[in-house]
Amino acid sequence: MLLQIVSALGVVVGAVIVCSAYFFFSNMILDLALPVRDGDIRQASRNLNRRAMIRPWLFLGPALFLLVVYLVYPVVATFVLSFYDRAGLQFVGLANYKWAIGDREFRQSIFNNILWLAVVPAACTFFGLVIAVMTDRIWWGNIAKSIVFMPMAISFVGASVIWKFIYEYRGGNDVQIGLLNAIVQLFGGTPEVWISVPFWNNFFLMVILIWIQTGFAMVILSAALRGIPEETIEAAVIDGANGWQIFWRIMVPQVWGTIAVVWTTITILVLKVFDIVLTMTNGQWQTMVLANLMFNWLFRGGGDSGRSAVIAIIIMLAVTPIMVWNVRRANRELKGH
Amino acid sequence: MKKSFLMSVAVAALFAGAASAADLKFAPGQDSKFNWKSYDEFKAAHADLKGEPLTIFGPWRGEDEAFFLSVLAYFTEATGVDAKYSSSENYEQQIVIDTQAGSPPNIAVLPQPGLLADLAGKGFLTPLGDENSKWIKDNYGAGDSWVGYGTYKGKDGKESFYAFPYKADVKSLVWYVPENFEEAGYKIPTTMEELHALTDQIVKDGGVPWCIGLGSGGATGWPATDWVEDIMLRTQPPEAYDKWTTNDLKFTDPAVVAAIDEFGKFAKNEKYVNGGVAAVASTDFRDSPKGLFTVPPKCYLHHQASFIPSFFPEGTKLGQDADFFYMPTYASHPELGKPVLGAGTLVSITKDLKTARAFIDFLKTPIAHEVWMAQSSFLTPYKGVSTEAYANPQMKKEGEILTSATTFRFDGSDLMPGKIGAGAFWTGMVDFVGGKSAQDAAAEIQSAWDGIK
Repeated sequence: MLLQIVSALGVVVGAVIVCSAYFFFSNMILDLALPVRDGDIRQASRNLNRRAMIRPWLFLGPALFLLVVYLVYPVVATFVLSFYDRAGLQFVGLANYKWAIGDREFRQSIFNNILWLAVVPAACTFFGLVIAVMTDRIWWGNIAKSIVFMPMAISFVGASVIWKFIYEYRGGNDVQIGLLNAIVQLFGGTPEVWISVPFWNNFFLMVILIWIQTGFAMVILSAALRGIPEETIEAAVIDGANGWQIFWRIMVPQVWGTIAVVWTTITILVLKVFDIVLTMTNGQWQTMVLANLMFNWLFRGGGDSGRSAVIAIIIMLAVTPIMVWNVRRANRELKGH
Repeated sequence: MKKSFLMSVAVAALFAGAASAADLKFAPGQDSKFNWKSYDEFKAAHADLKGEPLTIFGPWRGEDEAFFLSVLAYFTEATGVDAKYSSSENYEQQIVIDTQAGSPPNIAVLPQPGLLADLAGKGFLTPLGDENSKWIKDNYGAGDSWVGYGTYKGKDGKESFYAFPYKADVKSLVWYVPENFEEAGYKIPTTMEELHALTDQIVKDGGVPWCIGLGSGGATGWPATDWVEDIMLRTQPPEAYDKWTTNDLKFTDPAVVAAIDEFGKFAKNEKYVNGGVAAVASTDFRDSPKGLFTVPPKCYLHHQASFIPSFFPEGTKLGQDADFFYMPTYASHPELGKPVLGAGTLVSITKDLKTARAFIDFLKTPIAHEVWMAQSSFLTPYKGVSTEAYANPQMKKEGEILTSATTFRFDGSDLMPGKIGAGAFWTGMVDFVGGKSAQDAAAEIQSAWDGIK
């Protein structure tokens, strides 16, 4: 343990030293190569310009290099693999893509992913907004916010384990230890094996992600709500608007940009949803989603790199437009619309 | 100065030797139930490996890891090899990553012939040679079967022997509590027909006959595959079973559908299973046997492999508080003999090294088996071991089922491609118990299999 801590510290310190040295020396070399001397003013100013042009690349260099190695290269390699057979040895053209279109499980995963996309970002944003508005007006608002935010600190797997106990089912006359079944029983209903109820079990899994992510939406939206000028609300009150109207006509339009950002951020997260499904059902009982399908094809029984690559590419293609839109929107906002 | 330095080195060496000898669970040469001769011979033949490295990757964790390390201690003591064992909860994924990335361990221990066949096909395994396959054939109970499970097609398409079986499980067992049987006056069934009759009798007496739990997190459904495999072996000749695992016999074949249906006769009858049918798929396989031990018992019978006593309530004495009988065969199929369904781990070389070869040789010594046998949770089909070394009479009984087996068949779901054996088959069984007909569930699995061809 101690050895690990010491070596980790060593790596951190070493990395900082290496980085500083890189910037220091690369700058020094740049300055030496393009000198700015008092003698020739034109030469000096040209060199100064050149330096200014090169310096950002010098600073970005390592990051760009790492980006290429860890992001661009894998994407290209995955794309290439998607045209090869399971071992990645033989070129098979579009066969893997053709398989994907025809595969029942794949279509099921797409359907489930769409279901997740339709429900989770909307629910998180909606609950986040409602909670943000409501907690602003009560004295224990901050306590409530902390509680809503707390699940954010729990890992997806941890949260799933917690919810597994909520959905737990005991057969026959055994005492139900699952919270949900205990409640159902209390009201005279019959306990149910929740995570194996086809179609609806998808929603039971979504609840977990909503539970985790609502806090995120709430925090961001609550900050945005604070930014609404008091005057507009006051003016509305004077004009005789009720709470409902203030919320929909004054507040929501003013934080619309933030809502969009929260929505898209959670959408990207949902497209990558994996841990919850793995922990709860591993895609059984028709709850398979794309990321789990990819994982299964890649790792179960020696793996099929071609088909899993196809699924990876499809997930990437689905994420990209939202990502682009999100970045553009953020840029626009930075520039002040 | 120099002298005292040499002295201290000598003293240190002495202590080091003493320390490693003390690590051995059973002092060599002492207990006569162990075959120490094999250890000495092995030591003499592999004395030239001092300090050489060996990395072993395997599925054993927790208690099993400690047992394996105690066995490995004898190997390092005998050869001086610097052997390191590592394991992973997700060994299936890990070995694929490690081999694919070009940094495999020297030795990989895996419980799935299907996965190994796949690795062999991609050229990641080193053939062990005819001498080893012949050794298995001569020394293991139902040796031909075991050789078959270690023989795969390599990258060049040629068949070779790649995986050495070490450590086995017996699956064809039905667990019960002798006291409950005595009280109710039930007799151990010797045929499948009797087992059906007993099941009905228990219901008639107001009890619930079976505890069945298919839950296993992401692997939910696998316990049902054991049932179906056991039934397949009892209704079809072994050749049909083999064809089934390679899909030469389709899942939709009436023989397979009938086997699934036969399992359904137990699992899909509201009165036969503890908690009703809905509980079957959702009950965790580790919790399921606990019903045997409640008062009054929630069930009388539990079909599960030899590993299950680790999940019995604490303090359960095997043979006294819990016992097992061989899952019986059908009186209507006398020609099939007494088949045994089992599983096991297979050892293969993923990066060739002299020390790796030495380790395989080590596994051929009875001592490599006996040390673990004596500490429980280890069965072996190796006929050369002294069965006296088994930790308890139950294990000895299970071990004898293995060594005397005429037909031994490996867990079929481990032989099928991962996508089926560790996927569609599980899901299919869960769907079947959930209400689908055997025909439909089988068709679903078959279509998944067609999809990977």
